[in-house]
Amino acid sequence: MSETVLRSPSKEALDTDVKDGELPARLAATWGTAAGLIGALSTVDHKIIGRRYIITGFFFLFLGGLAAVAIRLQLARPDNTLIGPDLYDQIFTMHGTTMMFLFGVPIGEAMAVYLVPLMVGTRNIAFPRLNAFSYYVYLFGGLMIWIAFALNIGPDNGWFSYVPLAGPEFSPGKRADFWAQMVTFTEVSALAVAVEIIITVLKLRAPGMTLDRIPLFVWAMFVNAFLIIFAMPAVMLGSTMLILDRLLDTHFFNQAEGGDPLLWQHLFWFFGHPEVYIIFLPGTAFVSAIVATFARRPVFGYSAVVLSLIATGFLSFGLWVHHMFTTGLPQLGATFFTASSMMIAIPSGIQIFCWIATLWDGKPVYRTPLLFVLGFFFIFVAGGLSGIMLASVPIDTQVHDTYFVVAHFHYVLIGGAVFPLIGAIYYWFPKFTGRMLREGLGRWHFWLALIGFNIAFFPMHISGLRGMPRRVYTYPAEMGWDALNLVSTLGATLFVASFLVFLYNVVVSSRGGEIAGDNPWDASTLEWATTSPPPPHNFDHVPFVTSRELLWAERQTLPVVAGLAVDKREVLVTTTTQALPDLKESSPDPTIWPLISAIVVTAIFIGSIFTPWAVAWGAPVASFVIIAWFWPKSTEENV
Amino acid sequence: MKHLLSIAAALAVLAACEREDREFRPSPVATEGEASITLSSISPGVVGLGTPRDIGKAYEENAYHLSEGKRLFNWFNCKGCHANGGGGSGPALMDDSWIYGGEFQNIAQTIREGRPNGMPSFRGKIPDEQIMQIAAYVRSMERQVHQDAAPSRDDDLMPRPSEHRLPTSPPVAGGTVPPSGQAPQ
Ligand code: HEM
Ligand SMILES: [Cu+2]
Repeated sequence: MSETVLRSPSKEALDTDVKDGELPARLAATWGTAAGLIGALSTVDHKIIGRRYIITGFFFLFLGGLAAVAIRLQLARPDNTLIGPDLYDQIFTMHGTTMMFLFGVPIGEAMAVYLVPLMVGTRNIAFPRLNAFSYYVYLFGGLMIWIAFALNIGPDNGWFSYVPLAGPEFSPGKRADFWAQMVTFTEVSALAVAVEIIITVLKLRAPGMTLDRIPLFVWAMFVNAFLIIFAMPAVMLGSTMLILDRLLDTHFFNQAEGGDPLLWQHLFWFFGHPEVYIIFLPGTAFVSAIVATFARRPVFGYSAVVLSLIATGFLSFGLWVHHMFTTGLPQLGATFFTASSMMIAIPSGIQIFCWIATLWDGKPVYRTPLLFVLGFFFIFVAGGLSGIMLASVPIDTQVHDTYFVVAHFHYVLIGGAVFPLIGAIYYWFPKFTGRMLREGLGRWHFWLALIGFNIAFFPMHISGLRGMPRRVYTYPAEMGWDALNLVSTLGATLFVASFLVFLYNVVVSSRGGEIAGDNPWDASTLEWATTSPPPPHNFDHVPFVTSRELLWAERQTLPVVAGLAVDKREVLVTTTTQALPDLKESSPDPTIWPLISAIVVTAIFIGSIFTPWAVAWGAPVASFVIIAWFWPKSTEENV
Repeated sequence: MKHLLSIAAALAVLAACEREDREFRPSPVATEGEASITLSSISPGVVGLGTPRDIGKAYEENAYHLSEGKRLFNWFNCKGCHANGGGGSGPALMDDSWIYGGEFQNIAQTIREGRPNGMPSFRGKIPDEQIMQIAAYVRSMERQVHQDAAPSRDDDLMPRPSEHRLPTSPPVAGGTVPPSGQAPQ
């Protein structure tokens, strides 16, 4: 056991001064969350906030799923009158909006909030109060839009709210404004988490975790955070312009006064295409982790995978215009964006080949998490293939806004994000709760989901090719689309039923599941080096990283670092590339101010739907609560 | 406290429903039966009409009806005489003075039955439902409807602040006689 002791001049108790048996309890007391409601609301523990984030994300997945069921019921028969056009518009918009903004982006970040600090071997996420704030903002934004929907103010312009349809002339009332503010809520929270992840990865890695020892999971989340930072401002800008056009009569999108409706599409898709990768990259994070553990060998081609992730990140900003082929483009532009769209298949392809090679060379153990990864390969590749077809302008012009597109993006989104996510939940559930999910139910879930998914979505390719447009609330019987739609609806029911199996599994296993132990899968990354669930301080001693697959390399005892304070929250800051110990820095204590700030921000955002004065009057209040949040306390820093 | 909250919630629900309801297929002009606007003598001044004031509420508090009204105002060429509300050969509609009364049913009646000196009757030409929408919109020009429901700007050249940004002011009886009325008869 190699041990590095960090000496410091101050007199406070260090972990080297404490008897080993006492250490966990004292650290837990320092890092714990106070009891009671106020304590729970003030917590800055990334695991507690991460758990809330994950549960909230799944809550919105289920709401979005219910909306999908309603859509499918309405479309099951031709000339159906179950749901009228007005409500249908709101339902499919709520479905898309919820899935993309309230589930897709936050759930990836939620998993990162929980797992990244553990995987890099630190005691809390960077900026833990910001983390609490971001969660509350996300929660309030999501609740706002669903309450609005319940009050018949649900957005009804589709999840991308194109102007002029969503603009002041054609969307009377407040529906589109609620949508625009929902975007602002989720963007604020997503950006906050992205900053936390980046700093956590760059500065809080355990000593010895050089850049080339960072787990692939963490790399993917790290690249993803950069995507968020560069992509989200575009849509936030767009949604702000939209609400200004609607509320204050500005002319950003008004052709007659010198604005440009296509500007909206550019701003939206400059965000919207990277958004697809923001949803997919966490999927690759889960897949890399699961594949390595269940193939029982490190992922083949570590550098190739990392470089592919970075390449995906860059390329994803260069192809947004493929969403706008039918708006009319100069020939050269169309050619360029076709080429760049096809090019992004290369890094995705490289990653998939690396994972397959890993499984090929390993001794795969086919447990539920790996099954979902195999499902991912199958579905995601099929979605990628129809994507390549859509990248070609002549084909896209034919099938634009038909069910072919609906089929395509559900293959990539559900294949690329939902299947890996479910695999990830089966994989990390023991870490989150200390108990295993049931394997038998997991297999039922997998097969029902795989079969249900394909029955639901494969026929949509055909109905799309036969001309069925998306976003229609019904269709006449003579079109000959009824059999395909009925099959889709039956498949969707099966798919949804598979999630009921999952829900049941989670509920029974979290009470009565088999006890997991620290490392039930014999995995190699650091989150498995601590107890399940982890203590408030994550690790009794910060680990010292000697290898990329640390827990496989150091099977006897884990090398650790000592010398951090015991009675105050202290984290170890390391250098960016070499991860040499650099500073000891205090980590913020719990406080209620992030919650209060989130409430104030919520009031401002909702108020500004009705009057611009909400911003003017809200700003001083917001400044006041933020000052209170950052009010300096004299803590001694030791360097 | 609980009661207060649930009452507040209920009010919010009602308010939102009124503002946000959309009815896409109103009945066509052919099915028109009894007029929902009481008819009265065609003479200037606010006349006590038999109809309760409330019929207009459903239209004036609903954003969709108001914006439809705005569209129909252009499509039926109300613009031709009243411009964007500022008046032309017909009187101005965006000021607060009204020759034939500024209440909802006065205006609906004006549209349906017409007025002397050049205002045509649209009875049987515009379905009643749409007359109501137009009347509600005219009231929003005149700043009588709630700002949350009043229309915003069009995607067009903007000659004046849009209806939802105007401060409210109560209607005044009287008004100016349109230029067409001053012409020698
Ligand atoms: C139970 C599973 C699901 C079913 C049965 C389903 C079904 C549908 C259907 C039928 C539509 C087309 C609605 C229309 O054009 O009228 C649709 C749209 C959409 N779905 Fe799903 N979906 C499911 C899950 C998901 C998931 C997991 C995501 C994303 C992560 C997603 C994202 C979207 C988006 C972005 C749209 C476009 C909405 C719009 O046109 O504005 N869906 N879905
Ligand atoms: Cu794209």
